[in-house]
Amino acid sequence: MTGSNHAARGSYFSDGSRELACGAAVDDVLEQVADGDGEPLSEHQQHCAHCQAAIREFINIWAPVRELADQPVTVPHRLQASVMHQIDKLVQDVWYTLELTDDGAMRVAARVVATIARDTARRVRGVRVVLGRTTDTRVADLVAKATRRHRHQNAGIGVLGRTAVIDLAVAVTYGEQVHQVAHEIQRRVKAELQENLGLQTILVNVTVDDVLPRPEN
Amino acid sequence: MEAGVDDAYLVRRAQEGYLDAYAELVDRHAGLAYRVALRVVGNHHDAEDVAQDALVAAWQQLPHFRGQCTFSTWLYRIVTRRALNRIQRQRRSVSLDLIGDVADCSAGPAMSLERDLIMDAVTNAIQVLPPAQRIVVVLHHLEGLSYADVAAVTDSSVAAVRSHLFRARRTLGIALEEWR
Repeated sequence: MTGSNHAARGSYFSDGSRELACGAAVDDVLEQVADGDGEPLSEHQQHCAHCQAAIREFINIWAPVRELADQPVTVPHRLQASVMHQIDKLVQDVWYTLELTDDGAMRVAARVVATIARDTARRVRGVRVVLGRTTDTRVADLVAKATRRHRHQNAGIGVLGRTAVIDLAVAVTYGEQVHQVAHEIQRRVKAELQENLGLQTILVNVTVDDVLPRPEN
Repeated sequence: MEAGVDDAYLVRRAQEGYLDAYAELVDRHAGLAYRVALRVVGNHHDAEDVAQDALVAAWQQLPHFRGQCTFSTWLYRIVTRRALNRIQRQRRSVSLDLIGDVADCSAGPAMSLERDLIMDAVTNAIQVLPPAQRIVVVLHHLEGLSYADVAAVTDSSVAAVRSHLFRARRTLGIALEEWR
């Protein structure tokens, strides 16, 4: 099948033909268009009417694929929350029992403590990024064993009573006194958790592991 | 979260148990996961399931991620495998009637416009490609990944990716030529 027949019927693909009238492979030209919008033209193509006609035609044929690629896809608004909810269930939560009475236990999830600590630390001057976590499983197990006798029957695994251990990974602004920033984070986080959650023994481990340039604004 | 923090930092922190580091990665890449899943499985319901499963699985597999590729390339791999499993299950349960749902979800007055019909035609043409061809078209032509990256994501060679693309483009060419 030849290119002249393509022109007559206006079809490059339907009959299974593999070459243009000039001998150029149809699939190669289509690849050239799909991957690079037909550019750059080879020496042969610069002087070949068949190739140039095919390139023009393929650009039009392929345009809807480009348009589809550019179309924004709206992500379901609940997707991120659903993912994190599932992960929360997978992560063994450490509970902090704050009130123990005959009516039961009031508990605050460890991740809530971590969030409050993180948000407090973010407000400290010189802090650029903070990530927070509560005790890792190993530490939680040790504390759970140590406090086993004091655990309330309603309390969950790894109850720490009014004790919290918080790890904060921090990036500070370049030029700030790292030592002072770390101390200020410890002071404010302890105060915030004592004030808001009634926690008494609070260890705040601050790891400064990055320095970022000062924001332009 | 600061824009200056890169994925590699967040991955390291997430591996150490900082859940909010992973939450930031999910925020950054949920769009990628959902978009690829939608293009491959062809309907919003399954795409959401696939994207969700993939992002949770990535969390579970994170301790094994050694950073040989970027987090997004690694996530592409997880999403495409789950999407492939999903469409294979669809085939077994003869639920191919779901195909076309992508277009249905945007149904409205504008559907009568030729442009929307052509978009539907492209979507449907991609949907009926064999799975291996569909995935390389989605990754290369819709997501913009290089041949080498597509090969890395699909655990194949660049030559195999090119071969799939050649056949897929010809099939798409036939479908799209009818709209000219």
